[in-house]
Amino acid sequence: MNKINFLLAGACIITACQQVVDLNLHTTPAQVVIEGSINNAAGPYRVTITKSVNFYQGNSYPYVSGALVIITDGQAAVIDTLAEVSPGMYETHSILGRPGNTYTLQVLLTGNVYTATSTMPQPVSLDSVTFNYATKNTIRADPIGIVNYYKFTTYVNGKYLNELHTFEDRLSDGRYIREKMDNDTTDIKKGDDVLVSLIGIDKEVNTYLREAQTIAYDNSNLVAPSTPHTNIAGGALGYFSAETISSKNGYPKRSNP
Amino acid sequence: MTFEGVNQNNQLLILTMRKISQVATWLLLISPFASWSQGKVTLSGTITDKSTGEVLIGAAIIFPGEHGAGATTNAYGFYSITVPRGNYTIVSSYIGYVADTIHISLKDNELRNMSLTPMTNQLEEVTVTSTEDNDIIAAPSGVQKLSMAEIKNVPVLFGEKDILKTIQLLPGIKSAGDGKTGFYVRGGGSDQNLILLDEATVYNASHLLGFFSVFNSDAIKDVTLYKGGMPANYGGRLSSVVDIKMKEGNNRNLEVSGGLGLISSRLNIEGPLVKNKGSFAINARRTYVDLFTKLVSDTSIKNSKLNFYDLNAKANLILNDHNRIFLSGYSGADLMGLPGRFGLNWGNQTATFRWNHLFSNKLFSNTSLIYSNFFYNISINSTPNTISITSKITDYHIKQDFNYYISTSNKLDYIGTNNKLDFGVDLNSHVFSPGAATVSKSSSYNPVSLQKKYGIETAAYISNALDVSEKWKVVYGVRVTAFSAMGPGNFYSYDPNGNISNETAYASGKVVKTYINPEPRLDLSYLLNDNSSLKLSYTRNVQNVHLLGNSTNSAPNSLYIPSSNNVKPEIADQLASGYYRKWEDGQYEFSSEIYYKGLQNQIDYKNGATLLGNENVESELLYGKGRAYGWETFFKKRSGKLTGWISYTLSRTEKQIAGINKGNYYPATQDQTHTIAIVGIYNVNPRWTLSSTWVYNTGNAVSWPSGKFSADGVPVYLYASRNNYRMPAYNRLDLGATLLMKKTRTSESSWTFSIYNAYNRANAYTISFQQDPKTQAVKTTLFKIVPSVTYNFKF
Repeated sequence: MNKINFLLAGACIITACQQVVDLNLHTTPAQVVIEGSINNAAGPYRVTITKSVNFYQGNSYPYVSGALVIITDGQAAVIDTLAEVSPGMYETHSILGRPGNTYTLQVLLTGNVYTATSTMPQPVSLDSVTFNYATKNTIRADPIGIVNYYKFTTYVNGKYLNELHTFEDRLSDGRYIREKMDNDTTDIKKGDDVLVSLIGIDKEVNTYLREAQTIAYDNSNLVAPSTPHTNIAGGALGYFSAETISSKNGYPKRSNP
Repeated sequence: MTFEGVNQNNQLLILTMRKISQVATWLLLISPFASWSQGKVTLSGTITDKSTGEVLIGAAIIFPGEHGAGATTNAYGFYSITVPRGNYTIVSSYIGYVADTIHISLKDNELRNMSLTPMTNQLEEVTVTSTEDNDIIAAPSGVQKLSMAEIKNVPVLFGEKDILKTIQLLPGIKSAGDGKTGFYVRGGGSDQNLILLDEATVYNASHLLGFFSVFNSDAIKDVTLYKGGMPANYGGRLSSVVDIKMKEGNNRNLEVSGGLGLISSRLNIEGPLVKNKGSFAINARRTYVDLFTKLVSDTSIKNSKLNFYDLNAKANLILNDHNRIFLSGYSGADLMGLPGRFGLNWGNQTATFRWNHLFSNKLFSNTSLIYSNFFYNISINSTPNTISITSKITDYHIKQDFNYYISTSNKLDYIGTNNKLDFGVDLNSHVFSPGAATVSKSSSYNPVSLQKKYGIETAAYISNALDVSEKWKVVYGVRVTAFSAMGPGNFYSYDPNGNISNETAYASGKVVKTYINPEPRLDLSYLLNDNSSLKLSYTRNVQNVHLLGNSTNSAPNSLYIPSSNNVKPEIADQLASGYYRKWEDGQYEFSSEIYYKGLQNQIDYKNGATLLGNENVESELLYGKGRAYGWETFFKKRSGKLTGWISYTLSRTEKQIAGINKGNYYPATQDQTHTIAIVGIYNVNPRWTLSSTWVYNTGNAVSWPSGKFSADGVPVYLYASRNNYRMPAYNRLDLGATLLMKKTRTSESSWTFSIYNAYNRANAYTISFQQDPKTQAVKTTLFKIVPSVTYNFKF
């Protein structure tokens, strides 16, 4: 619980607290990371291939060129071989995302084959975006009796805010859900165009992103931190997601305090 | 409770007791031992403190001229020894008390209660060669005892003397670290310690997320810790038993004492209910850490609530020579939170009623009715989500113990005289309420009520302690436990992927699954000479209540689950052996022990397990085996101006679980290779006492990243394997000083000054990996140097 740590931090106000330490962390051979999605909006859809780096390197992940990337729609019998539009970025030509359909990703790279399948859930609409000081609430009605998994993304004036934010209705089935998106106070200002997207994802993609989220933001509290479980077979990291998107714009009336 | 009330009930009680008495007499007649004791007489009674009337546990009665034959008092101060008729010199002794020598002519069975005078100055302490439990040579292996006087002088955080913190300075017992609940004994997890307060299980023994234990040392009379060779009357946890007995109270005079500290205050009242026949004790403690947070300008910290309290109460009454009753209770809770935003409360309540009855001068009986409850409550008030979660575990426990003092020999010597049979039965009903959440109407969450779980734990044991010869002592016995997971409820089976494969509904009272486990216990001692001994023990322990921690921090919102159709009882087999030696009449002590533990049905989590609000939490678990082994060495100086000890432990604790680290053995979190503690207490003069403690241990095993990659633009860390790194080593020096202001026969006052973490080391509480603005590792320290002062009084 973050809040407990917050209180513990309160307990150490008398003396101590936090300092950056240099650890002698192991290095591992670079691993292939594939991130791809197909959604119910118009294409083209994109697959990105990068590699992992050592912990103390910068946050630029080397792109991987020269892969053969194929997305298949089993129901519609469509096979789309993606084009590499820039190093490591691959785009579809003609395939269309439809809720309920199952899609397969195949990547051939230096003799290895990586595959993943994902089924697009039924769409769920984002109701509204409101602002509340440092946070904004997104509101939607969760369908009863269906297990739903979601992620949120935020764009401010067209710029993507890097974030991992998943939500599952395991404890919320059928509720009208209000979810707080905690953002840095500097991210959103008065007059900005804030685009919030509610993205419906499948169970395996949710597992990957939820685990990635806890590792990125809460790693010191985990009983068993480990690399997230991917839905890609063959030894790569990353995920392939067939997903639905529902977006709303919001315009904050004042800057954050 | 008024005395009149007690008296009326006595009539009834005594009547019932008479009936039971008749049955017991009959039992004794058919006992094969009864006919052996012809021509001999039994000396029995109670040994107490002369000034307060408190019974002394483990005090010795010795016949010095008779090959060291003797007896020790049990947990209620009772002793019994059968000897040939004759004239004897008897010495009764107890550590910290003036030994008493009496000459006695034994012609008939004799009831002789004795009382000993406490030494006024600890410096003058004399140790008597004896069979007393405090003697390192004679005590069973694996037992650690600390006197309250020793605990009093060891400096701890904020000057609060603390039993559980002090026992962590003994070999084989390891601290989980600053701000973490619990301790590890011989490689066991913190949930593998059975902590008993007047026989009631205390599930969460920590306050303020582990900075203090729930045991107010003003209320405590005696602490015994078993890390191996547990007697058969204890069971239910794998690695240790911490048996804590509350003070009965002074039955001579009314006494008020207390302490005023920087963050907490204590008040104690004790006195006679009926002079020399009954007493009561009430001990209260309250902290006010939140006074400090008020000083901070940050409003969220300023308004936070952070305090705890403890209330201990006990009363006892001697009805007659054969009957005594006790009633004791504890209630304590922690309250923390930010009003209007979130709150976290947790606490324990226990209550114990006990009836001591002497069926004969050889058969002592104790009947206990015990209640124990642990709860926590979390409330989150974050618009629009208002959620309140409550979880608890409740035990109703009944226990019957007998001590039968056998005598089979006509000669007075070790053989046959020191021969005791302990037996009893135990019935404990557990109710687990894992969690019920209530929510506001506008909340994003549904109300959840996880189904309650029921378990019945029954046990029967028999154990014989026998001095086989002058050199050999043996304690052997067996405990048989049966645990039944009970309905009502739905019970699930899971496939390897964690999906439900079968669901069965059980009605109330229906047995879902029963596990029966015999637990053999053996403890052998061999006296090499008067000053040294060798010991060997084998112990099997079984655990049916398992703790699943939600996170690595010390939040109390952990989940207790009983053994079930999926979760099997955890089993530990421990083999331990040691060499013990003392010099200069016990002024110096040395011990060296080795142990090996094999563990079955150990529990760990699947990668990325979800425990919160999860009805299928058992599907997130993995099972395997473990092993723990180590070497412990201990040197202690017990008397003189300088007292204290050095303890060192070298150990390893590993688990092997299919699904983790490719099925290879990996270090358990609590695997600390080296642990050192040095404690020194120096009596400068009658007014000043100085003390210091230094501790060092290898860091716990942790999982840290071996790389990073991007997920939706956010850096995420790559983990190569479980527990593949070590936290930085922990070390700390604490200093303390006590100034005695005045001391008279009836009153006393003193100041205690202490400095926690005197050389201001930034020990790691956690190390987290963050992106700010580049990826980095950030160490959080809870306590650097903390000075404190406490004023203590007694009148």
